[in-house]
Amino acid sequence: MNTATLANNLNFYLVISAILFVLGVVCALSRKNIIGIFMGVELVLNAAALNFVAVRLLHQKAAASAHQDGAVFALFIIVLAAIEAAVALAIVLRMFGMKRSIDPDRMTKLRG
Amino acid sequence: MNALDIFAFSAGLLAVLTASLVAFHPNILYAAISLTFSLLSVAGLYAVLGADFIAAVQLIIYVGGIIIVILFAIMMSENIYRVRFLDGARKYMAPLVFCAALFLLLLKMIVAYVVPLVPNPQRIPLSEPIGVALSTIYALPFEYVAVLLLFGLVGAVIVARPNYKEHKQGGKK
Repeated sequence: MNTATLANNLNFYLVISAILFVLGVVCALSRKNIIGIFMGVELVLNAAALNFVAVRLLHQKAAASAHQDGAVFALFIIVLAAIEAAVALAIVLRMFGMKRSIDPDRMTKLRG
Repeated sequence: MNALDIFAFSAGLLAVLTASLVAFHPNILYAAISLTFSLLSVAGLYAVLGADFIAAVQLIIYVGGIIIVILFAIMMSENIYRVRFLDGARKYMAPLVFCAALFLLLLKMIVAYVVPLVPNPQRIPLSEPIGVALSTIYALPFEYVAVLLLFGLVGAVIVARPNYKEHKQGGKK
């Protein structure tokens, strides 16, 4: 007996995911701190993964093992976020070693 | 409204509230901690969707790994008690206008795509089908991601390592 209405509604997850995405973009655009920008990108990736998993509600009829593509993509997104975190930490450490600051406005070495 | 609905609603609400803290809190450390709770709530939403494996992966990798990495990056780079640590002079106007427009666009797309309420989805456990998918049709992308992870980690080590020549000459550039 499953009488859930909100938890079975795909639009609920899509709206939550859209809000998370937009907040992530605001965070990435407005912060003057490279770690803050990175956290905004994490929110955006997380919203995308939530979308990918949420559409699995549509495929419940088609059953069992055939339609797990969204979950696989969410898994890949999480792995890519982990790689990104490692590289971002490396860049932050290197930049702080060079400039003693993590202000992205001061990363001008490649400007030419 | 049953128990599942209440759980889904509270998880979604918590995710949105903590994500707005991530976006707007001036102190980067508090933003990172509320990012933890946002990711935890999204793991709760995965659990509501029946994606048990993804929820576990989210808990282990995001909450257990990425948050630790972010906290390390914060603690190893800036002095927490310095004033620069708080980014006060942020420009909100242009990002907020842009993102409000983006959100309205997304909302319009979501509302236009009217989904019939799925009457009774059976939330089957995900671990077995995802394992089968990863070892059959997704075997090649899985290997690609593994190789990418390896290269990413090696590259991160190379980037983060202090310059070898500088060390050898006693810090002289």
